[in-house]
Amino acid sequence: MSPRWTKIWRDMQHSGGRMALIVAALAASMAGVVTMLSAYLVLAREVPLNYLGIQPAAAQLELQHEPSAALLQRLRARPGVRGAELGGTLLGRIQVGPQGWMPLMLFVVPDFEAWQINRVHADSGSWPPPPGSLLIERSAMAMSQARVGSQVQIELPAAGRIGIGVAGTVHDPGVAPAWQEQTVYAYVSQATLAQRGQPLPLNLLKLRLHDDAELPAIEAEVQRLAAWLAEQGEPVLQARIPPPRLHPHQSQMMTVVGMLLIFSLLGLLLGAVLTASTIGGLLAQQRRQIAIMKAIGARSAQIATLYLLMVGLLGLAAVAIGWPLGWAAGRGLMSLVAQLLNLRLDSLALPGWMLPASVGVGIVAPLLATLLPIWLAARRTVRAAIDDHGVSASAAADSGGLARLLARLSLGDAALTLALRNTFRRRARLVMTLLLLGGAGAMFITSLNLRAAWEARVQEAAADRHFDLELRLEQPQPLARLEPLLRGALPGLRAFESWSISATSLHQGGGLEVVHSYPDGGHGSLALRAAPPATALIAHRLGAGRWLRAGERGSVVLNSGASQASGLRGVRPGDWLDLEIAGRPQRLLVVGIIKEPLTPSALYTTPESYAELTGTAGHSNALRIALRDGSDAEQSATALVAALEGAGMGVKFLLTEARFGAAQGGHVYILVYALAFIAGLMAVVGLLGLASALGSAVLERTREFGVLRTIGAGSAAVLRSVLAEGLVIALLSVLLALLLATGLSARVGAVLGAISPQQLLLQLSPLALGLWLLLLLPGALLVSAWPARRAARLTIRETLNSY
Amino acid sequence: MPSNKSSDPMPQDLTPALIALHGVSKRYASAARPCTALQDLSLRIQPGECVAVMGPSGSGKTTLINLLTGIDSPSSGEILVAGQPIHRMSQEALTRWRGRQVGVVFQFFQLLPTLTVAENVMLPMDFCGSYPARERRPRALDLLQRLGIVEHADKLPAELSGGQQQRAAIARALANDPAILVADEPTGNLDSATADEVMGLLAGLTREGKTVLTVTHERELGHFFTRTLLLRDGRLVHDSATARVAA
Repeated sequence: MSPRWTKIWRDMQHSGGRMALIVAALAASMAGVVTMLSAYLVLAREVPLNYLGIQPAAAQLELQHEPSAALLQRLRARPGVRGAELGGTLLGRIQVGPQGWMPLMLFVVPDFEAWQINRVHADSGSWPPPPGSLLIERSAMAMSQARVGSQVQIELPAAGRIGIGVAGTVHDPGVAPAWQEQTVYAYVSQATLAQRGQPLPLNLLKLRLHDDAELPAIEAEVQRLAAWLAEQGEPVLQARIPPPRLHPHQSQMMTVVGMLLIFSLLGLLLGAVLTASTIGGLLAQQRRQIAIMKAIGARSAQIATLYLLMVGLLGLAAVAIGWPLGWAAGRGLMSLVAQLLNLRLDSLALPGWMLPASVGVGIVAPLLATLLPIWLAARRTVRAAIDDHGVSASAAADSGGLARLLARLSLGDAALTLALRNTFRRRARLVMTLLLLGGAGAMFITSLNLRAAWEARVQEAAADRHFDLELRLEQPQPLARLEPLLRGALPGLRAFESWSISATSLHQGGGLEVVHSYPDGGHGSLALRAAPPATALIAHRLGAGRWLRAGERGSVVLNSGASQASGLRGVRPGDWLDLEIAGRPQRLLVVGIIKEPLTPSALYTTPESYAELTGTAGHSNALRIALRDGSDAEQSATALVAALEGAGMGVKFLLTEARFGAAQGGHVYILVYALAFIAGLMAVVGLLGLASALGSAVLERTREFGVLRTIGAGSAAVLRSVLAEGLVIALLSVLLALLLATGLSARVGAVLGAISPQQLLLQLSPLALGLWLLLLLPGALLVSAWPARRAARLTIRETLNSY
Repeated sequence: MPSNKSSDPMPQDLTPALIALHGVSKRYASAARPCTALQDLSLRIQPGECVAVMGPSGSGKTTLINLLTGIDSPSSGEILVAGQPIHRMSQEALTRWRGRQVGVVFQFFQLLPTLTVAENVMLPMDFCGSYPARERRPRALDLLQRLGIVEHADKLPAELSGGQQQRAAIARALANDPAILVADEPTGNLDSATADEVMGLLAGLTREGKTVLTVTHERELGHFFTRTLLLRDGRLVHDSATARVAA
């Protein structure tokens, strides 16, 4: 090896600590980029593949009757139709444990073998299920406490309570995980249902269309088919058109992962800045060596090449360490997202370009960041390099502002005064270190702000809901019968209110009701609810307009979810809404918008108005019940269900507030944890940056320490000076972190607001700031300790012989 | 008196000067006040001379050396070395020129601490590509042999005494076989016996045709030099060559 390469290699060995800092920082930020990029790329491919793999229906038409096989055949032959199948859904309950019941959604299939549209994947057990048995969605198995081969108790509207065998599990990428929706999904044949006393006409027509890429084209085709079906004597009650070819959570998840990818790239940028800062320190330390090399004939390009090669080697080492770590973390993140979205990742293969591109970025980013300081150092004249004593000419000449202030400032302790002044000695390096620590702090604080904002929403929602049980009945029941039943079954009853509910949608014209919802009925559905104007069980906070007045008719109040729903965005009090309610078009006046976090989209009208619109006067299909002691909600629920069933009233579901809370959990925590992961990486990078900056400062000030010692400063004073400098920088970075976190939190809140109906107002959380200080200050002391100890141990002879 | 006025024409010496300065001044801007380090200096140095540059601190000795090696550039005036106007050269051209034409020896040796002595000597050959790679180590060892420290070739500089390090620095300055050797107080950090040895080595190089310029404070080393320049406040106040001529 030629002497110049030998020099660089030995310099790297000689400055092993600082080289290790650079490699660690770059490896950590590289790991972050690989984590997020691999997750983004794999999920961007696998989420649509999973969803398109079930051959999702472009639209589902709810018919009045089950159409004949001949009509179905003619429908399939129509231009524009790629496929048509029948199906049905049925709501019931499933027993979980000796006393508990959960909502059950049964997807009814005419023939498992011929099933093509919205088809699920066999996961375990028998496919197709033998007659008399059903299949359960895999994510519901733990929750339903069922085992393949065992029997479960279910309750259906006509069949009542029956035992049925679980033949196996399936994976249905088209529905959210059961634990998220607190609903058990199961799949059963029409024949089995009929055999068990629950005949069900399959009046749901699942359609695949040739032109299914754009919503307007699908809507137009659905309108044509609905008109044709009506001509054939099969009127369409409702058309359900989900967003075309899009998994229910795909947009949100990809936006979130994309945002995290941007944060991780910022992390890499900070890693590159740290490299520039540390290499800048090394160049400052080696300024005389560079001068000597130039004096004996080295050209600027030769010098620059030496240090760029050093940075390239460091980048390569960082990539070699960070890539596998990032890939492992990326697989973990993918698996977490797959669980959240109920996906099966068939392949974790990365695109061929990712490895070379990420390796390239990992090496090029630090090279680009260091290019300027290296080139400037290499270009310096021999004389300028030799004359450099660590204080820039501009700083030395600066007799104004900061310099004057610092010169006057005395902390009473010479070591501390010196530390304060030294902090501002290398301003470019100070700025870079502050950016590193401030950026890390901003990310950390933002992640905790996000968590705090979400928890505030959950608490807000809980504080607004002054009831313990939400009951939905199969059919509207007379209130006069319900009240004595409730009082009899619930000795601890404090209050109850009727909050009847029915599905609604925007009126599309042409007599067809179109909703933009998925097969599970969620995600895009809209409900009309009867709300007692003087309710004691819900505290509504007005966003605009006013709340309902007793007895008024023809008016609605939107909740925050509805005001963000497709087709309703921008609706204001005073606007008219054309809705499909109970199969009829209705025109209602919007009088207000309320803030109702974590609640599905709903339109509220008075009980009188609701009764008129739905023809259910004196009846209710939904009750909200408050107990004197909320802790026995589960037992009360069991007793109530027994009483209602005893009276022949089918219960669709009964949700305790505890289960509601569980269903809300986890939606945003993936983002919180991922942000905290990136923030943690950046904190590591930031602290390494501080260690590097102080290490460089100590090296540059070696002679100064010698002078201090000759005039009587002890090791303790030197130690105190360096530690204090680290703390001053750390504290300054907190100010920057607060400033950056304010902007970042607002931006993250805006992004989340754009992709979710749940508005999150991210505010600076004092806890986040406190935790960051708790992490940063000991961290700063820890990383300052090494250079401080080194400085304190220098002998006068060593310091004065240094160059 | 020596020639020291810008109006003075370049002396009409028939022998072509290796180094010629004409009306050279150097001024530095500083935060306190502008400073003139050299003022209107003219000078000619012939090949094979062994020149001592002397004077009190701040007299301009190091500035003169820096100008002659291209480390610094004049504020005004001309500097010709082997006929080349180095005051007009760019920094990069100066670097290339210096690497091949001038060997520099510093007071504190300035060997690169992470390279062995032999590697330090090979470094100028490496940067300038003056010798094929396979010839560099044998040449470095040959130079170290001549300077009497070949047995230390594979040691790091820190393992050597001051005198040995300065010998290594001289070997490094000779690596590319330059015509001119410039030394800035090469004995300033050595004891008197070692200083004598090192100065003897430098002076001996003139027998090989090298031109040696040395900044020194030490009058007792005067016998090694064929010519002495005395500077004061940036002006050449005595040149033994012109004094001899005048005498």
